[in-house]
Amino acid sequence: MTSQAQQAQSKGLADRLRSVNLSRVGDYLFLAPAMVLILAVMVYPLAYELYLSVHDVTIAGSAGQAPFVGLEQYRAVATDPAFAQALWVTVIYTAGSLFFQFTIGLALALFFNQTFPGHGVMRALMLLGWMIPLVVTGNLFRWMLNGQYGVINLLLNLGPLEAGRAWLTDPTTALIGVIVANIWVGIPFNMVLLLAGLQGISLSLYEAAKIDGANAIQRFLYVTLPQLRPVIAIVLLLGFIYTFKVFDLIFVMTGGGPVNATTVLPIYVYDVLFEFFRFGRGAAASILVLVLPIIISLVYLRLLRREESS
Amino acid sequence: MTALGRIWGSPYGKTTLGLLILGIYLFPVYWMIATSLKSFGDIFAVPPELLPIPPTVQPYIQAVFNDPFVLRSIINSAIISVSTLVLTLVLAAPAAYALARRRLRFTVVVIFVLLLAQMVPTIIIAGPLFVIFSQVGLVNSYLALVLANTTIITLPFAIIILRPFFLSVPQDLEDAAMIDGCTRLGSLLRVVLPLVTPGLITAGAIAFLMAWGEFVFGLTLTTNEQLQPVTVALNEIQGQYSTRWNNLMAVSTAVALPIVLIFISLQKYIVGGLTAGATKE
Repeated sequence: MTSQAQQAQSKGLADRLRSVNLSRVGDYLFLAPAMVLILAVMVYPLAYELYLSVHDVTIAGSAGQAPFVGLEQYRAVATDPAFAQALWVTVIYTAGSLFFQFTIGLALALFFNQTFPGHGVMRALMLLGWMIPLVVTGNLFRWMLNGQYGVINLLLNLGPLEAGRAWLTDPTTALIGVIVANIWVGIPFNMVLLLAGLQGISLSLYEAAKIDGANAIQRFLYVTLPQLRPVIAIVLLLGFIYTFKVFDLIFVMTGGGPVNATTVLPIYVYDVLFEFFRFGRGAAASILVLVLPIIISLVYLRLLRREESS
Repeated sequence: MTALGRIWGSPYGKTTLGLLILGIYLFPVYWMIATSLKSFGDIFAVPPELLPIPPTVQPYIQAVFNDPFVLRSIINSAIISVSTLVLTLVLAAPAAYALARRRLRFTVVVIFVLLLAQMVPTIIIAGPLFVIFSQVGLVNSYLALVLANTTIITLPFAIIILRPFFLSVPQDLEDAAMIDGCTRLGSLLRVVLPLVTPGLITAGAIAFLMAWGEFVFGLTLTTNEQLQPVTVALNEIQGQYSTRWNNLMAVSTAVALPIVLIFISLQKYIVGGLTAGATKE
């Protein structure tokens, strides 16, 4: 009786504390430092990018005195054949990487979703490929794809394929080379997210399908895939975004060459900014490049919301 | 079922197959280490020698320990990564706490901005940042790299990872602490933070890994090689060691080593965090 009364009393007190002490001002104070930094180092530079994109800025230190040129920079970028080519290379690079890293990642997720001795440790070790700095991975694949002594050619040589292809210095194969490296990096990412999705599927669905006489392939097609659909959508979207922004890997492997064969959009932007020091034009190119991820992120948010509500 | 099918279907058959997959997948990592332990003559053997016999540490001595530029860059990376880690946690913990405790009216907006940060190609922010930092004299300073790494790369990720940890701490615990005379900040520091330690380890480890591997800001915001991180140094010595692949792989292995060690020792924390950070909200 007394303890009940005490409880009620402390509950009333807690409610009062909650309303007085946990005022909204307090919340904003906790949030403020992080928000100040995000505003200063992320939002402001993005806004400043708009300013730069309508000026002819060639000296970074005196961007304030640069002449206003209207939409001239945008026109220059949009009509630059190199920009169109970079867009095309980006599309091939992203599509090629996504297709293979997703299918291989899905196959591995299905395999590692089974229970067998050591499956947890193996699953985790697969992530190493994703964690290693991209600069290291890029160097490593440059060595493995080396024409004369690269281990990939030497392995291919064991089969009927011709030897000595200099993958990364040949404009017809350089893009394949960087895609292979990107697939290697992307496999664990796809695998881990799909694995989390697979573990969310109720086992009773599989049992019911079994009782109905569905074989393994039918269970995959009619239980696994439909159940996994929202996760697949998210994995593909995130994969698109992460592949679209890849810079380090290609920069280290080929620098965008040979003859722009591997110049994806981020490399194109880098060249304009830091090879030619055209900060205005680079800003215009950046904004054009930004439009795509923004659209995709809006789609992504909508998908998430739909998944939450269902 | 065929005999072969039975073997692969058994738990140990699957373990064998799993090891085979892992072996094939991680072969590039093995190849990097194997090459780094070979002498200059041995890396050009045809067919290639799978094992570095006899192994030599000469590439490490030559390209890492006797190269002041590489050593300096390793120290730079350590300074930058640890500072990024600390700043990230100091800022992310209270922010994630506030976003978890209150349905702030603009929570959605904040999370959208955080998401956007993860999606923007780094080079696109590096451009205006370089111009801005040039004007305020921050180009060529550790501070520039720490601020850029934290804001664009680690802070958004850390807030997204930490928020669910704070959500799982019951409000009643905090109320009890406040009844006992704790202030709001006191209850956060003494009651809530100890309970979210696993989250802090996860976010901290991932922040370090990301900062250590960062390349674009290092490449664009520093021109002074005394301040460059090791990823930029690795890119720069490519030309110097054009065919000395053993030396290049030795530096590569040295760059990857801290990542591999941290990943293996904190594997449990990191794996869950990466999945959560990549998908939740």
